[in-house]
Amino acid sequence: MFSQIKLVLFFVMLMGAGGGLWYVQHLKSENEILTLNNAKLEGAVQEQQALIEQQLRDIETQQNINKQISENNAKLNKDLNLANEKFNKVNASGERRDIGALAVAKPKSIQRIEGRREQQRVRCFEIAQGSPLTEEEFNATKKSQINAECTNIANPNYVPY
Amino acid sequence: MKEQILEVLKAHFGSGESPITDDTHLMDDLGGDEFDIVDVFMQLEEKLNISIPEEETFDVMTVSQLIEVVGKHVQSD
Repeated sequence: MFSQIKLVLFFVMLMGAGGGLWYVQHLKSENEILTLNNAKLEGAVQEQQALIEQQLRDIETQQNINKQISENNAKLNKDLNLANEKFNKVNASGERRDIGALAVAKPKSIQRIEGRREQQRVRCFEIAQGSPLTEEEFNATKKSQINAECTNIANPNYVPY
Repeated sequence: MKEQILEVLKAHFGSGESPITDDTHLMDDLGGDEFDIVDVFMQLEEKLNISIPEEETFDVMTVSQLIEVVGKHVQSD
């Protein structure tokens, strides 16, 4: 009888030890999985951080591009207004010249003027790139003698009046 | 005819400090540009009811040249 009790106790202890061993093994296994998951999550966080940083850089680049576009637009508007003032200027009676209407009514004249202006523009580029001024350009003091496209660099002695 | 030409010039360029004479240069004295000269010819054609070939207007720079070119067509039209 006594030996039977000992046997039962032995089996109970054996099962307890086995259960404990299984529990520890299970915890180790879960711990390894959690460690791996944690490593994956950390990797994902780093990727997200890198992505956010890249997005911030992209936003900054986009803002710079937008700023440049705005500046270019402002410059183009200014140039457009200047061109409008130049081509469609107002006469002494307050009437605005319509360069389009002139071009339709007098195409040869406008084409001839534009051809001359184009030659002047080419000359402007030459001067800007270092070509010396001719005597005629240097001494020009009258409006009919100047290069209308870049008077400031082509005709230093011309004073607008 | 000359009076009408001077009227157009004054209306377009203004009276200015000095009077407009035959020797007045449309660009150097009146401050116009090449487009102004084309514009003035168009206004004169309309005012005098004449038609001037464009080639005849190309080298016009002074009032006397303007009167000469317009005069040919006022007499002949």
